[in-house]
Parts: sequence; C-alpha cells; structure tokens
Amino acid sequence: MARFLPLRVTELRRDTRDAVVVTLQPRPEDAGAFDFTQGQYLTFRREFDGEELRRSYSICAGRDDGVLRVGIKRVDGGAFSTWANEELQAGMELEAMAPMGRFHTDLDGAVAKHYLGVAAGSGITPVLSIIKTTLAREPKSRFTLIYANRSVNSIMFREELEDLKNLYLGRFSVIHILKSEGQEIDLFTGRIDAEKMAALFENWIDPESLDAAFICGPEGLMLTVADSLREAGLEDGQIKFELFASSQPGRAKKKAVSRDSAQAGEATEAVVTLDGATRSFRMPKQGETLLDAALAQDMDAPFACKAGVCSTCRAKVLEGEAEMAVNHALEDYEVAQGYVLTCQCYPLTDRIVVSYDE
Amino acid sequence: MEMKIEDYLAQGGQLTSPGNVPPRYRGELMRLMASFVDSELAGAAGFADTINDAPGIRNRIAAAKITQEKLDHAGRVLEVMGEFGADTARYDTRHDWAARMARDADLDAARHGDDMRLSVFHYPIAGYVDAVVLNVLMGLATVVQLHEMGRVSYAPLADAFREIAPREAAHVDLGLKGLRQIVGDDAGRQKAAQSVAYWLPKVEASFGQAGSARFEKQARLGLRHTENETLREDWAGRVADAMSPLGLG
Repeated sequence: MARFLPLRVTELRRDTRDAVVVTLQPRPEDAGAFDFTQGQYLTFRREFDGEELRRSYSICAGRDDGVLRVGIKRVDGGAFSTWANEELQAGMELEAMAPMGRFHTDLDGAVAKHYLGVAAGSGITPVLSIIKTTLAREPKSRFTLIYANRSVNSIMFREELEDLKNLYLGRFSVIHILKSEGQEIDLFTGRIDAEKMAALFENWIDPESLDAAFICGPEGLMLTVADSLREAGLEDGQIKFELFASSQPGRAKKKAVSRDSAQAGEATEAVVTLDGATRSFRMPKQGETLLDAALAQDMDAPFACKAGVCSTCRAKVLEGEAEMAVNHALEDYEVAQGYVLTCQCYPLTDRIVVSYDE
Repeated sequence: MEMKIEDYLAQGGQLTSPGNVPPRYRGELMRLMASFVDSELAGAAGFADTINDAPGIRNRIAAAKITQEKLDHAGRVLEVMGEFGADTARYDTRHDWAARMARDADLDAARHGDDMRLSVFHYPIAGYVDAVVLNVLMGLATVVQLHEMGRVSYAPLADAFREIAPREAAHVDLGLKGLRQIVGDDAGRQKAAQSVAYWLPKVEASFGQAGSARFEKQARLGLRHTENETLREDWAGRVADAMSPLGLG
C-alpha cells in the first residue's frame, strides 16, 4: 500500500510568472526510496479545508544532478498548484510517495541514438529530466526538442535549456514554437498541428534518424504528434507518452452528508449508477454484497478478485452508508471520500445511492 | 485546447497514469488486467507439473522456463494493477491457481468461480503430450491476443504487453519443438491428435463471442481494436500453419 514520506523543501525558485521549481530533500533513511528514473513523477498529498488532495508533479532533475526537484505550474482553480506557487517556502515540509511512472526508455552508454522530445507548456518537466539523463549517460546520442509555449515569457526552464545546448554542443537542439509571438521563421509560430509536424519533418528533423520519441502535454498535442510520428514511420513501441490531462479536477468533491447510520429495516433500497444509467432495486442488508446484488440485476458492474484486493469494483457512495468486510485496496482518504469496494460492501442504511461513474 | 478524455480516447489517445483515467475506464482496464494475470497464474500452475512429466532434461528445462516466464508476466501486469491500488502481495494468495475442474466438465466461455482466468484454464492437463499440445494451441492464441493488447490505450500496460509478446511467442516455438519429437512415432502422433481434438474447441472459445457488447464498450475506450471474430480467424490460420506440417491439421 502506498506510503507517504516527508520531504524538506531546500530551495524554491520562481521559474516563470506561473511556475516554481522546488528542490526537495528526503530524510537520509528514505534516500533509496526517492532514487528516481528519468521521466518519473512524485505524488504529493496535503489537506485543504479538512480534505486530503493528491497531486502528481514530474521530476525535472536528471538522474546525475544529485538532487530531487519538481516543477509546479499554477493551473486556474487548482488548489495544490496555487498553494505551491503562492505559499510554499524553503524549510517547509511536504509529503510524497516514492517516484512512479514509466515515461522512459532504457539507456546504454555504448549506443548512438537520436531522440525526439515534444512538449507543450509544463509538459517540459519530465522531458527535461529525460534530456539531461540521456545526454549525460549516452555520450554518443543526440536529442532534439520541439517545445511549444504561448510566449517567450511562459517558457519554463528557458535558461536551463540554453545551458544544456552549450554544455552538449552539437548533441542537443531546441525548436521553440510560440503561439502568440512571431519569430523569424514562420514555421516556428502558431501551434503544433499535423501540417507543422510535416513541415518540421521535411525541413528540420529527419524522421528516419529517430530511435524514440517522448511526447508530453495535453490531449490534443498527444494525438497530433503521435499520428505524425506514426505517419513518419515510427512504431508504437518507439513512441512514449505522458499525458498532462487538461480536465483534472482542482478539488475533490465533498463526501455526501450521510443520514443517521445503521437504520432498523432488514432491506435496503439500492440506487446504482453505471455508465450513466441508474437502476433501483431492493436488496437485503446482510448476506449479499452490493456488487452481487447489482450483478443479479443484470448490471455489468466491474469486478475481478471479489476478495477486496484488486479494487476493480470500486464505486462511490453518494447517499447512505455501507460497511466493508475487507479492504486491502482502498486508502483512508478514498474511504473518507466515500469510495467502497462493492464486492465487500453491505448497506447499513435503508437507502443507499452508489455510483460506478465517479 | 480542452478536450474530454472520452473524445481523446475515441480518437486513439493514450492514458499514462492512474491519475488521469476516468472511473469507468479504470474498471474496464482493471478487469482486463486481472483476466490476463489470473490466466497466467492459472496457466503456470497447471503447467508446473509438466516440469516433472517431461522426458529428458532439455524438455524439463523448457517446461520450467515456460512456467517461470508465465509467472513473471503475471507479475509485470500485476505491478501495473498495483499502481491503481491493488494489493500485489495478497493478490496471488487468494486462490488455489492449480485447482481444476473435471476433464469432461462442460463449461461455456464465461468465467467460473471467483477468479478471472479464461475458462480454458479450468480444465486439467492429462500428462506431457497433452501439456505440449495445449501450450502450442493456447500459446498461438496468446500471441494473437498480445498483438491486439499491445495497442491498448493505457500506455504502461501496452508497454508491458509489448515486452511480454516475444517471450510468449518463444513458448510456442518451444512447444512446437516438443511436438515434433512427439509426432515422430505413430503412438505419439495418435496421442497428440486426441489432445488437439480435446483442446481446440476450448481454446477457440477463449476468443469470446462474435458481436460482443463488451467489445463495443472496450473499443470506445481504446482498450480493444480488433473484433473477436477477426482475432479468432487469425488464430485458426496460425494453428493450421503450425499443425499441418506435423500431420495434425
């Protein structure tokens, strides 16, 4: 089960108007747990108004930098990112899980490969980690970065990228695409679409020379660039993705206020939503789990282990209360938000409203 | 530039971490992973006896390698499930993966019992020749399924399946090598033919129904791409190509 460990903020640097770069130090005994692979992310947790919120931010440091560092860009209405940008300070402590994510390829000091990175906005964060680690550990490989931003002022890690160009002369090149600022070359103005990718492949980057590509940004960019790369002849296995979803909720919804727990009746009126459709049926409070009751109604509810281990059958209680016989898969904060494992779930109230869609 | 995750998936988009998958996607994805993990665990448990049954050290090593790698493949996908909260330490202790039903049980393609293994893994293996035949027939099915699953829209899982695919293909090659030895004499060939007749319809059933409603749902989420019927035909072609030269067509 996931474990959160303390990290001390040793440095906090403002990178752009809307982004901070936070250097973190684990306790000596946790150093091994935070030994990361390039392109991974950290998941932080913090309470806002009594409710726990978890947010993931990518590591921007290279493996050989000797530090743990993340970039946090403020998103509108985002509780965690706003707090990090406005209130977080050096000396404070954060809680994070060990690094996760598989946005990387194996490195080999003997090979001479050509990598492409395509990033938009804060999508640069994991790509920067990959660039730094790759250039340091594969001395014969080179890296090309296509980096899309609104304007020069919003480019994250602008100086750091310039420094890398100088440090790895001839092995690292950056193409900045700016949405709202004209550049000397028309191709570098506007947004990344299929046409622009085709033109870049025609004039600036030979797609046949590419061994692997890393794409990180919002949905539209991922689709466009992946299509272009496939069209240019890259296999699915050569294209690595990290999605920075645009529609991440800023704040977890409050748990529905439950009525008096444990009511007297033997049966429950269950109201279950699945794939947008809602069904009501009566079920006993004991002897049958909510999952089995839903399945008996011919609802195609998801499940796998039926032993409270895998979490496939997770759903949210919106009204009423239930208890779980066994729970090896949900964490306390999920339970606090009303999530249950329906395969282990018995209603306590005379009415219970549950959704598999939330 | 905002786009709904559902539209993104419908256009072939990939999801990359538990943090950006919608709830119903999560359910279908977990189900799909559990089905693979349970089938590999049950498959390995059933095949383990073959290590002792196989004639000669080379064949035993082959059986041991197949058993070991199937467990490893289960572990790799279970690790992805773990990132969604599944308790990976408890997962494999919750069933007796070696348990089997009667050889002549009449199971349809639906799941049985409390695990998600494909129904073919509920049937017991009857000795070495039977194990080799099942390994080839089911191995070819796995190759076809993994080709399909390598395109799954959850990128970390697609990566895992792409790593697993060549090793599962190698299991088929090991099986065919064993089968060539077996059909070297008439008694062996006869035994193998009986096993082919026994396993063929059971493996075929593992491809699911034509026009399945679940396929439609999974296809919308980018979890499936090719219809069951097409996969089954692909498999049947591969079986014919492998079996004909051995006189088992």
